[in-house]
Amino acid sequence: MKKTSFVTGFLFAAGFLFAAIGTARAAEKVVVYNWTEYIPEGVLDEFTAKTGIEVEYATYESNEVMYAKVQLQKGKGYDVVVPSGYYISKMRKEGLLAPIDKSKLSNFKHLDPNLLNKPYDPDNQYSIPYTWGSTGIGINAEAIDPKSITSWKDLWDPKWKGSLLLTDDVREVFHMALKINGHSGNSTDPAEIKQAYELLKTLMPNVLVYNSDAPREPYMAGDVNLGMIWNGEVIQAQQENPDIQYIYPKEGAAFWVDSFAIPAGAEHKENALKFIDFMLQPEIAKRCVEFIGYATPNKSALSLLDEKLRNNQTIFPPAEVIQKGDFQQDVGEAMEIYNDYWQKLKTGN
Amino acid sequence: MSQSPFRRFIIILTLAWLALFVLAPHFLVVLTSVMTPDSEHLAVWPMTLDAYARIWEPLYADVFWQSLALSAKATLICLLLGYPFAYIVAKMSPAWRAFMMFLMIIPFWTNSLIRTYAIKLLLGNKGLFNWVLEAIGVIDAPIQMIYTEFAVVFGLTYILLPFMALPLISSFDKLDKDLIEAGHDLGAGFWQRFYHIVLPLTMPGVVAGCLIVFLPAMGMFYVADLLGGAKNLLLGNIIKNQFLVVRDWPFGSAFSVTLIVIMGMMLWLYYAANKKVQRMGGLDDQNL
Repeated sequence: MKKTSFVTGFLFAAGFLFAAIGTARAAEKVVVYNWTEYIPEGVLDEFTAKTGIEVEYATYESNEVMYAKVQLQKGKGYDVVVPSGYYISKMRKEGLLAPIDKSKLSNFKHLDPNLLNKPYDPDNQYSIPYTWGSTGIGINAEAIDPKSITSWKDLWDPKWKGSLLLTDDVREVFHMALKINGHSGNSTDPAEIKQAYELLKTLMPNVLVYNSDAPREPYMAGDVNLGMIWNGEVIQAQQENPDIQYIYPKEGAAFWVDSFAIPAGAEHKENALKFIDFMLQPEIAKRCVEFIGYATPNKSALSLLDEKLRNNQTIFPPAEVIQKGDFQQDVGEAMEIYNDYWQKLKTGN
Repeated sequence: MSQSPFRRFIIILTLAWLALFVLAPHFLVVLTSVMTPDSEHLAVWPMTLDAYARIWEPLYADVFWQSLALSAKATLICLLLGYPFAYIVAKMSPAWRAFMMFLMIIPFWTNSLIRTYAIKLLLGNKGLFNWVLEAIGVIDAPIQMIYTEFAVVFGLTYILLPFMALPLISSFDKLDKDLIEAGHDLGAGFWQRFYHIVLPLTMPGVVAGCLIVFLPAMGMFYVADLLGGAKNLLLGNIIKNQFLVVRDWPFGSAFSVTLIVIMGMMLWLYYAANKKVQRMGGLDDQNL
């Protein structure tokens, strides 16, 4: 008996000891919650090597999932999150984000003013842009002639029955239908959304799979040859298979900016600022473009980029293409309408 | 008696564990299911049964039936594969049996999520199955297997088969061989022996196996996400989406509670079946 209680006691003591070490080290860490495959390899280690701050890294595959977790914990638990613009505005209004002290960001000056001070966050009080990109059409040129596809509407062709990929993102999917109907991808008008839903219903027989985890994978595996995709995913896929290409649909692509933000309840705000500043270095921003294939808002990084990448229109589309598309914005209460229809669509109704 | 403090400690620990990690979460789920959804606080009072009413909306009723059908298919296939397998394994020598059990356990060393990714590689248009079928000339063009219902049933069957086999093996273990021999001596043919002796006596294993397969099958959202193309195929997908995407926690909870109730009803069925077998198992039973 003596022995047992000794062992138990020892285990308890050990447990407390580890817990104590855990909290002692917690001061030197930053918890980053980012999209899947959204950071170049090795960058986190370099950050730790340079600053001594451990990075606890977790990933999500949709704004909704990230928001659900941050909101549930009242903005605690994470120190850096990377919401899309329309989620920045939503979270900012709900008091879930902490203001960012830009005077502590020595590399803020590198950012392109064109991508700052947007309606979703005037004066960038709560967000620092990380990357921007678009949702357009992905195609495998080996299977389908890329010239034959020019618009979102082409996806509705009955010959694609049971073969398309859609991103698992309600706003992006509705963007297609809204644009085909000639409306804004940020519509809050219930009638327009309903009309888009009716149109999307007729697309459902063509849909094989929803994927927002790594939409390039089904293209690369040869399971899908046509559908929606993000431009950066195409750039990543092309390193293995150059036949996978990106098309900016003529109705207009959906554009988004993903920004660093600090949740209101973050426990390591100083470390979070250090992390963001680290990521804003032109050299790091350049590697982000090279690795994840999305455009950077970092002006100084552009000049460091290889000319081939800088002139790649999949990453950096010409002005008229951007003009035709819509930058995603918060749709407020209308989100409920979108979500209702979305659940119906995904159930096959 | 000298062990009693330690024993009491263990019992209290177990009870506390169950209360904290099983009872309390379920209680919270039931509580949440009768609350009103609220975008800021997730769920608020007053109490309402709205969520339960909404389950019967045609849209969700569809998913419900679809989910039941998919799980039933997977369960049936597990049973058809697991029953003969269990019979063969139970008849093996102890050494071989231990080896077979070992083989069955090995896959559990790998996370089921990773194994599901591996299935993707098998079923893809350029995957192993299509490649082999094409190579031996059975098909000319790849068959669409991945992202279909077939893929989901395949995945569920693969992951859940051991859970069917294990209770069946233990059922066959308990089977009194003398009864079969007696049946043989009294002139019963193979099918008669199977239908009147083996099947009734292994029924508890069949029911237990089906239960352990059927219910989890309806909740395995990642199988439907990865192999079924992330459409709302299983109840688990609906529940996951309600919690994470739509953030209607009361509704998601109501779905969970409904699943728990079904589970409860099936356990009762199991209990009833068990009792029946015990009655039939007595030697004075006229059926024997």
